[in-house]
This record gives sequence, structure tokens and C-alpha cells, in this order.
Amino acid sequence: METFYLLMNGIGTALVPLNLALLIFGCLIGLFVGAMPGLGSVNGVAILIPITFIVPPTAAIIFLAAVYYGAMYGGAISSIMLGIPGASTAVATVFDGRPLAQKGDAITGLTAAAVGSFVGGTVSVILFTLFAPPLAKVALAFNAPETFALMVMAFATFVGLGGDDIPKTCFSILIGLVLSTIGLDLISGQPRLIFFGVPGFLHGVNFLVLAIGIYGIGEMLWTLESTKGAVQISSIKFTFKDILESFKKLKGTLMAMTIGSFLGFFVGILPAAGATPAALMSYGITKQLSKNSAEFGTGVPAGVVAPECANNSASTGSMLPMLTLGIPGSPTTAILLGGMILWGLTPGPLLFTQQPEFVWGLIGSLYIANFFTLILNVALIPAFIMVLRVPFAILAPVIFVLCVTGGYAPTQSIHDVWLMLLFGVVGYILRKLDYPVAPAVLSIVLGPLAEKAMRQSLIISDGSFNIFLDFTIKPIAATIMYIALIFLFLPLINVLKNKLFPKKA
Amino acid sequence: MKLTTRNAEIIVAVLLALCSIGLMIKSAQNRIDWTVEDNMGAGFMPFWLSLGMLICTIITIFKWILKKSPQSTNNEPFVDPEATKYVYVTILSLIGLILGTAYLGIYISLIFFLFFYLKVFSEKSILFISVFSIATPIITFCFFEWLLKITLPQGISEPLFYPIYDLMY
Repeated sequence: METFYLLMNGIGTALVPLNLALLIFGCLIGLFVGAMPGLGSVNGVAILIPITFIVPPTAAIIFLAAVYYGAMYGGAISSIMLGIPGASTAVATVFDGRPLAQKGDAITGLTAAAVGSFVGGTVSVILFTLFAPPLAKVALAFNAPETFALMVMAFATFVGLGGDDIPKTCFSILIGLVLSTIGLDLISGQPRLIFFGVPGFLHGVNFLVLAIGIYGIGEMLWTLESTKGAVQISSIKFTFKDILESFKKLKGTLMAMTIGSFLGFFVGILPAAGATPAALMSYGITKQLSKNSAEFGTGVPAGVVAPECANNSASTGSMLPMLTLGIPGSPTTAILLGGMILWGLTPGPLLFTQQPEFVWGLIGSLYIANFFTLILNVALIPAFIMVLRVPFAILAPVIFVLCVTGGYAPTQSIHDVWLMLLFGVVGYILRKLDYPVAPAVLSIVLGPLAEKAMRQSLIISDGSFNIFLDFTIKPIAATIMYIALIFLFLPLINVLKNKLFPKKA
Repeated sequence: MKLTTRNAEIIVAVLLALCSIGLMIKSAQNRIDWTVEDNMGAGFMPFWLSLGMLICTIITIFKWILKKSPQSTNNEPFVDPEATKYVYVTILSLIGLILGTAYLGIYISLIFFLFFYLKVFSEKSILFISVFSIATPIITFCFFEWLLKITLPQGISEPLFYPIYDLMY
């Protein structure tokens, strides 16, 4: 009951005119920043921190959290409209969001993203409100072996993302993992895979460089070839009724929402995990468990709902270790943590008792931000749809400009822009030969997390792999690992099942 | 030799196999073994992952020989002949854009790139193309340098921006 009163006070704090204005403004900025390829919530939050010194800490955290939230919504926009992920958290949204737009049903894609984000955000805020302190203890129990097991589960779900050609799918996963090892070794600091002595490789291959190359340049080359450069003007017309109709198409997405919301929140509360692995895993698991898994990748609303639910849920979840333990749950919350320290606050368990207005004001603002961002997103759908009406001959060079600037912005290195072009051309060629490119993009994101967790675990266990498989040593890690193995072999089991027990025509 | 999909499949598989071997050799410049005392060498992960890549490409090559994959029996042109112009011109113009970015700066290069690309592929008037080619770099500058404070490469054109920076800062 006390929690309820504290929450109501928090919502009241969020509705104070200054806080509300900052919340709406933050959502708008976040939406825009999240939609730009190469930029994400990290950029938005980092750049706007200085502005927060002129307002009280509660207003400041509400503003920055709204930017973070808005960016989670915004990442889906360029994923769906342009086929370029707006941020790493929106990569999985491309898989079905872009095909939906190409089929002329971009409204459903955008609605699915907005509703999925809203549901994920709402569920996660409720879970946060009710279970923050005990969940913080669970998060603390997650160490390197558990993290590695979780990464293995993520990789296991990727196998289902590839097509029928298993060697090509495995190749795609492996090349992504190899690309993630370029740079300085985590443990020894030795340079590895520095090709031709080029210094640009020392900082590794940024995930966005690969993603923008493949999904920006590669996708455009594919489209240019298939359309033969024909000037295409989309004659999509839309009415308010079309938007309402699109809501009805979300009928069969309950499973996707459930998986996305809970999995996203759980992964989000783990320190250093973040929304990206949550979104990827949510997509993979939803696809594996769906009755229509073969349709994923062709433009199904559930394929958009699952990752969008997860990334919004995870963004809220990642604030839990930040507030309760002083450990950032994602790169963006690391910046928020820095902001809190600058404002004179001490993150940790005592924050709830010593600064209740700050904490519950933040939690209350998340409810409000969720609501307003949904309204903004749905209201702006007509504006987003206008992008599709731009003649392709004009849209194409604009997308190339976005790709070049997006490839440069993360590391401000021209070397990365060259790499982006190379990945784009190679990705186009491999895609024509049915090499799935999505697993490579996912592997480069999770590769560093997995390698670090594995090596730390093996240091702890003196080289024994039993640390991952023995229930008596690490029960959580072992449980997750065995579930991962089930997911890994599930496609093979399905193939055997269909051969042994063929379905009657 | 005409570049059919079948030919492209084997060429790419062989190239990827050679790349995998190259990655293995490069990885071996670091320690690739794993001992209980010293844990994994820096080259351990890339070496064995590259070996996995090599195995996958060998399987793909075998499937090509046995004609088990769809691409191995497809004799259609790898790139649609009517579309080669668009693909190759786009790639070459992007190379020109990035080269220009490194030396002339992104804003000057964008003007040339957009003008060339729209002139070749769009049916818009010269006036429209000119306005679009100049407006896009201006908008890009305002968004990245003024709003987000992210400096984009300016190359030899950097001195032209000093008066603008004096106004901004």
C-alpha cells in the first residue's frame, strides 16, 4: 500500500508543469534522435546532460529518461521506413518492419512498433514498481557464467534466424564473431587481426558500421538492382481509419508482447546487458515458438512487436541496477548515473529512502512518458509515411548521405566509412547467394559480451567448462545453458519430427 | 566466362575459404592455445572461429560440386544485365563520395555526389538538382555541427567554416 502512495506521489511530481513540459520535449527529442541512423539514446542523453544543470535533479532525470524512452520508440522508425536500424536496439525490427513497409503496409509496422513499445514499457514499469529491491538482488547474482549462458541462448536463437542453409547460417554467425574480435584483446590488451597495420582496426569494428553497411548500402544496392533504377512513387494514401485498422492486425501478437515484455525486463536488469541483446533474443525466441515461424522475416506484425516490446522493457529494466545498486544496466544508464553524481545524488539502496521524491518521480514519469510517446508516435505516423511518397531517385541518395554520416558519427573515423561501404557491397553479394546477413550483425553485437563472460568464467573455474554445466556449481548458469541447447537443437528436432511423423496432406 | 549465379557461388565460396585461412594465419600471430595457467591466448577465439568458417565454406563447396544447393544449379546471370549500370555507378559514386570526404570534406563532396547521382538517375530539372545538392549539406551541417556538436570531416575546405564557427561558439 505504501508503494502505491509513493507511486501516486511520483506521478504527481511528474505532472508538475515544468516536469511535464520537459518530459514531452524529451520524448520528442528522443524520437528524433532514435530515428537517425548512427545516433542513439547514448548520443541524445550525453549531449543534453549540460542542459539539465539549470533545472532541479528530479526534472533533469525525468527529461533524460524521456529522451532515453523516446529513442527506444524512435529507433523503429528508420528501421521500418528506410530499412536502416536507427540504433542497435532496433536491428531486429528491420527483419519484419522493412518487409511490411515494402508490402505497402508501413502503417501496420509503425503501429506495431508503437503499441509494442507501449506494452513493453508499461509492463516493465509495473514490474519495476513492484519488484525493484528483490530484483536487484537477483541481478547481483548474475555473474560471468550466467552472462555467458545467456549469450549462448541468444546465439542459439540466431540459428533459427537463418534460412534453410545451415552452413551458410553458421558462417554468418562465425564471421560476425570474428569481426567482433578485431582490435585489442580484452584480457591481455594485445592487438589482434590488425590488417595491413591499419591503425583504424585498433578500435575494432563498430556494430553500427556493419549494420548500416549491410542494411543501408547493401539493401539499397539490392533495391536498385530489383527496380532497375525505376523512379517509383509510392501512392500510399492513408486515412485515420487505416490507422485504426492497423490496430486490429495486432490481434495475434499477444505471445510476442508477453515474451518481449518479460524477457526484455529481465535482460535489462542485468548489469551491462542492455536493450540490444533483449530485443534480439525476444525476436529469436518469439520466432522459434511461433506456429508461423516460417513467415517471420516476410513482414509479420509479431516480428516487430517482439523486439520493440523488449527494447522498451529493457530500457526501464536497465534503470533498476542503476538506482538500486549504482551499477549501470546499459551504456545510456551509465551516462544517467554520471548525471546523478553530478547532481549530488548517490545511487544505491539508500536512494529509495533518502531521495524518495527523486526515485518515485522518475518511476512516475516513466508511466507518463510511455503514454505520451505512444500518442506522439501514432500522431506522427502520417508524417513518417510521407517518406514513402518521396521518389526513389531522391530517397536513395538521401539514404546514402545518412549512411555515410551515420557510419562516421559513432567513431568519427573515415576508416569506418570505408569499412561500411565494403560491408555493404559484400553484404549485397552474399545476400544474392542466400547467405543470411542478420546473424552476422547480431553476432558482432553479442560477441564481445560473450567472449568476456566466457574468459572471466574460465579464469574463475581454472579452465573447467563445468562451471557452465554443473547445477551444483552455478545452478542459474546451468539452467540457462541447457535451455540454450534445447533452442539450438530445436530446428533439428523439428526437421526430424517432420520426417518421422509427416503431416497428412 | 559469363558470371552466372552458379559461377558466383563457387567463386565466393573459394574466396571466403581463402579469407578464412588468411584469418587463421593472422590470428596465429598471437597465442592460439589455451592453458589452465595462462588461460586463452589472444588469438584463440579468432583462430578457432575462423576454422569454423573454413569448415562451413568447404561444406558449401562440396554442396556446389554435388549440385545440392539452389545456387549451384542456377545459370541465370548473377547481376541482372539491365541493372548493372545502376549497381556499378552507385558503387563507384559512393567510392568517389568517400574519397572526396577524406580530402575535400564531406560538405563539398556531398554537393558533387548529389548533383551527379540525381543528374544520372532522376528526371528532375537542373534547378531542382542544384538546390537539392546545396540544401542537403547545409541541413547536414546544421544538424550535426550546430545541434549535435559532432564535427564532420571538412578536409581542405575547413578554413571556409571558421567564420561560421566564430558565430556558433
